[in-house]
Amino acid sequence: MAEARAALRGDRTLAYATLAPSVFLLLLLAGVPTITVFSTAMQDIGMGDMSGPYVGFENFAWALTSEAFYTALRNTFVWVFGSVALEMALGLGLALLLNKTFMFRGVARAIILAPYLVPTVVAVLVWRYMFHDIVGIINAGLLSIGIIDKPLLWLNSQSLAMLSVILVGVWKFFPFVVIALLGILQSIPQEQYEAAKIDGASSFQQFWRITLPYVMPVFLLTALLRTIWSFHKFEIIYLMTGGGPLDATTTLPILVYLKAFTDFEFGRGAAVAILTFAILVIFLGLYFALIKRAEDRQ
Amino acid sequence: MTSATLTVASAPDRPRRNYELADVHHLASRMMLYLLAFTAVSVVGFPLFWMVLCSFKPGGELYATPPSFLPREWTLQNYRDLFVQTNFPTYFANSLIVAGGATLLSLVIGGLGAYSLSRFKFFGIAAFSNAALICYMLPEVLIVLPLYIYVVKLGLADTLFALIIANTAFTLPLALWFMRSYFNAIPVSLEESAMIDGCTRLQAMRRVTVPLALPGIISVGVFAFNHAWNEFLFALVFTSSERNKTLPLGLATWIGQDNIYSWGMLLAGAVLVTIPVVLFYLLVQRKLVVGLSEGGTKGE
Repeated sequence: MAEARAALRGDRTLAYATLAPSVFLLLLLAGVPTITVFSTAMQDIGMGDMSGPYVGFENFAWALTSEAFYTALRNTFVWVFGSVALEMALGLGLALLLNKTFMFRGVARAIILAPYLVPTVVAVLVWRYMFHDIVGIINAGLLSIGIIDKPLLWLNSQSLAMLSVILVGVWKFFPFVVIALLGILQSIPQEQYEAAKIDGASSFQQFWRITLPYVMPVFLLTALLRTIWSFHKFEIIYLMTGGGPLDATTTLPILVYLKAFTDFEFGRGAAVAILTFAILVIFLGLYFALIKRAEDRQ
Repeated sequence: MTSATLTVASAPDRPRRNYELADVHHLASRMMLYLLAFTAVSVVGFPLFWMVLCSFKPGGELYATPPSFLPREWTLQNYRDLFVQTNFPTYFANSLIVAGGATLLSLVIGGLGAYSLSRFKFFGIAAFSNAALICYMLPEVLIVLPLYIYVVKLGLADTLFALIIANTAFTLPLALWFMRSYFNAIPVSLEESAMIDGCTRLQAMRRVTVPLALPGIISVGVFAFNHAWNEFLFALVFTSSERNKTLPLGLATWIGQDNIYSWGMLLAGAVLVTIPVVLFYLLVQRKLVVGLSEGGTKGE
C-alpha cells in the first residue's frame, strides 16, 4: 500500500507529461498573444503582410486623444451599468419568485432560464425581427394600444439603439443571475424564518433582515462577474447594430474590431484593446480581492 | 335582550371571521404569486415562442402589418427553402465539426491536465492552475488581433482547424478547473487498490477514475460543445469563404439582407440552431442525476 502510494505521489514524469498539452496550448493561444499584442500596438500594421514599421506609443497617443475612443468608453459604461443594473434587479426578483413553491414551478424555471442557453445569434435574430420598424411585433403592439402613433426606429435611431441593445442583453443574460441567486437562496436555513415569524416579523422584515444579508456576498460577486463579462462582450452588440447608427452603440470591443477589420489599422485596434484590458484589470482585481475575502471569512 | 343575544352570537363568531380573513389574505397572496409567475414566464418566454410560431408562417404573413398572432396557415416552406436554397447544411456540418473537435480536444487535453492538477503537488502545478484561471478571464478582443496575425502567417486562415484550436483554448481553463474538482472528489485510495490488484497507473486512471468522474466529464463536454457551437468572434475574423462558415457566422451574414433571405428562413434557421443546445441540456440534466447516483454507490 505504502509502495503504491509513493509511486502515485512521486511520479514526476507523469505529472508533467499529462499537464504539458494544456500548458502548451494555453501558452500558445493566450500567453503569447497577450504579450505580442503590445508589439502589435506599437506597429503601424495594415492588411497584407501583417507587419509594419515600429511607431512607439503613437497608437496609444492616437487613442487617448481621439473622440472615437472616449465615445466608445462612454458607450461601454452606459452598456455595462445599464445592463448589469437591470440584470441584477430582474435576476433577484425572479430568483425570489422561483424560490417559492407553486404549481408548474419546474416549467416556469425552464422557460425563464432558456434565454441563457440560446445561442447569441438566435437571440439577436428573434429580437431584430421583433424590433423591426415595419413588420416587428413590438411596434405593432405599441401602435395598437396607442402608446405611439408612428413606428419607432428601435435599432436605427441614435436615441433608442443603445436602449434596445441593453434590453436584448438583459433578456439574454439575466438568467445567469437567477441561477446564481437561486442557489444561495435555497441554502438559507429555514429555521431563521420560523424564528422570525414567531417573533412577529413581517415578510418585508424577513426579506430585509434575513434574506438580503445572506444573499449579499453572492449578489455582489455575481454583479461584478456580470460587469466583467459585459465589459468585453462583443457579438451581441455587433450583431444587433454593428456599433451604429453612427457610433451610438460602439463600445470599446466594437471599436477594436472596427479599427482592425474595417479600417485595417491593426496597431490602433491593438492599442484600444490594451486600454480596454487595462480598465478591465481594475475590475478583475476587485473580483479576486472579493473572492479572497470571502474565502478568508470561511 | 338584543344586545345580550348579539354579544352571545358574535363572541364565538369572531375567531372564525379572523380565520376567514387570513384565508382571504393567503388566497390573495397565492393569486398574486401566480399572476407574477405567469407574467414573468410570458414576457421572458415570448421571443422564443414567437420565433417558433413565425418559422411556420408563409412569406406573406411574415410581412403582414399588423402581424397575425398564430399562423393562419402552417407551412414547412421556410425549413425546406433553408435546405434547398442556402448553404445551411454546410454551415451545420462545419459547426458540428468545429464544436465536436473542440469538445473532444478540451476533454482529452483538459482531462489529462486536470488529473495532474488534482493528483500532484510538484513545482509549478499550483501556479499553472491559477494562470489558467486568469486565461479564462482574458477578453477575446485582446487576443483576437495577434491570433489573427499568426493564423494568417501560418496559412491557417479560413480553415476549420484554426477554429477548433481557438475554441479549445477558450474552453480549456474551465475544463481544467471543473475536472480537477471532480477528480479531487475521487479518493486516491481507489486508484491505489487498483494498482495493487495489478493495474498500471494509466489503467487505473482509465478504469477507475474516469468512469467515476464521468458525470462531471459529460457536463464539461456539454459546456465546451455549447461554447464552440455559439462562438462568433473567431469565426467572423478567421473565416472568409462561404464553404467554411459556421452556423452563427452564416446566419449573421444573412441578417439585414432580407431581400435575399426572408425572415421566415432566418427564423427557421434560428430554431434549428437552438435544437442541439436544448437536446444537450436535457441529456446532461438526466445523465447528471443518473451518473451521480451510480457514482455514489460504486464509490462505496
